[in-house]
Amino acid sequence: MYAQFFGGFLLGKNAVTPEQLTSAISKLSDTHIKLGTLAMHKGYMTASEVDEVCFLQTREDKRFGEIALERCYLFEDQLEDLLVSQNPDYLLLGQTLVDMGAINNADLESLMVEYQSENEIDDFATAREDANTSIRLIENFFEDSGIHANEYALDYLNLMFNNLVRFIGEDFTPLQPSPARSYNVSYCVMQRLTGVARFTCGLDMEPNIAVSFASRYAKMDFDAFDEYVKASLEDFLNLHNGLFSVNMSNNHSVELNLAPPAQEEGPVIELNDTGFIIPVLYPFGTIYMILEF
Amino acid sequence: MSEKITILVGDDSILARKQLKDILIGIQDNLTFVEASNGQEAVDKFKEVHPDIVFLDIVMPVKDGIGATTDIIAADSSAKIIIVSSVGTQSQLKSAIEAGAKDFIQKPIRAEQVTAIFNTYIGG
Repeated sequence: MYAQFFGGFLLGKNAVTPEQLTSAISKLSDTHIKLGTLAMHKGYMTASEVDEVCFLQTREDKRFGEIALERCYLFEDQLEDLLVSQNPDYLLLGQTLVDMGAINNADLESLMVEYQSENEIDDFATAREDANTSIRLIENFFEDSGIHANEYALDYLNLMFNNLVRFIGEDFTPLQPSPARSYNVSYCVMQRLTGVARFTCGLDMEPNIAVSFASRYAKMDFDAFDEYVKASLEDFLNLHNGLFSVNMSNNHSVELNLAPPAQEEGPVIELNDTGFIIPVLYPFGTIYMILEF
Repeated sequence: MSEKITILVGDDSILARKQLKDILIGIQDNLTFVEASNGQEAVDKFKEVHPDIVFLDIVMPVKDGIGATTDIIAADSSAKIIIVSSVGTQSQLKSAIEAGAKDFIQKPIRAEQVTAIFNTYIGG
């Protein structure tokens, strides 16, 4: 997720425009070589093993390398070798922005140094395989926003960003979160989790953006804002919250109850004093995550 | 032509019902589907059509999948109920099995697992 947050960092510094960033990040999947592809190329894993690990990632909140090791598809030294061979995504993003003429190499160099020091990135390989560093990225993301995100909130968002990568696509940029006590909705679905901890999460977007979001999620080509599109948004939210409740149960022995996801009619929804909004920029448009803890 | 097999699919998501039906249709062609969009509707449809197998989501409005399982088993203790859910916590699975569910499929579903479950309980 370094590339996604690096994109947000560049926007925050006004180093690039949202259009330049969107264009560069949508090229990421062309330039970024996935660990599975690299593992096949080196003869470490078969195609069916790679497919199996990718599938398991949709059910368990674990990294590719972690699952491959557990299943004995890779040895530790092979994983180490793959991680060293893989270029960090955010370097590829930076290079693409230079190639496009959005920034020059000198700017990129100083921005990268600043980004690395802010996020305490000193070893790319271990940084990308360590879940704590993703949490640190998210903590840094909240700095200066005036929002207090507790341990569960950070876990929740870490999983949400990972699920966006897994189910919608990695070509997104999270924009600065902002506190909100009320919010004007466009088309919004929300789901509540209750129990020892309480969470509310909503997804809000324009109907035409929902069509693109749903097409990616369901891997179907929707062309109108219909019942299937609405169901796709609810399914994504339900899947994410289902995975989160499994994580909470396994890692913290906290059992949560999920209410069915439902549309929030609006036009304005009220949030409690922990409410905040995170806009997430995709090439097809901006989606808004509405959260309350 | 073999005898018709009736399948009840209970899920509040029209997309999830379609994805499951699309997989099942690929297994064999003598299937009849009955759909329910909440747990209570699933119980009512079960009593009406007496399906050969039932697929139920857990998180549903009105009545959840575990409650619906309990009611269906009360009506017919031999009902074959498969839970299909993204909420695969140990306590949820335990509740589903205690209520009388036969098996569990974790979402997102995949064809091989649905086919294997179908063949186990209905026969290929």
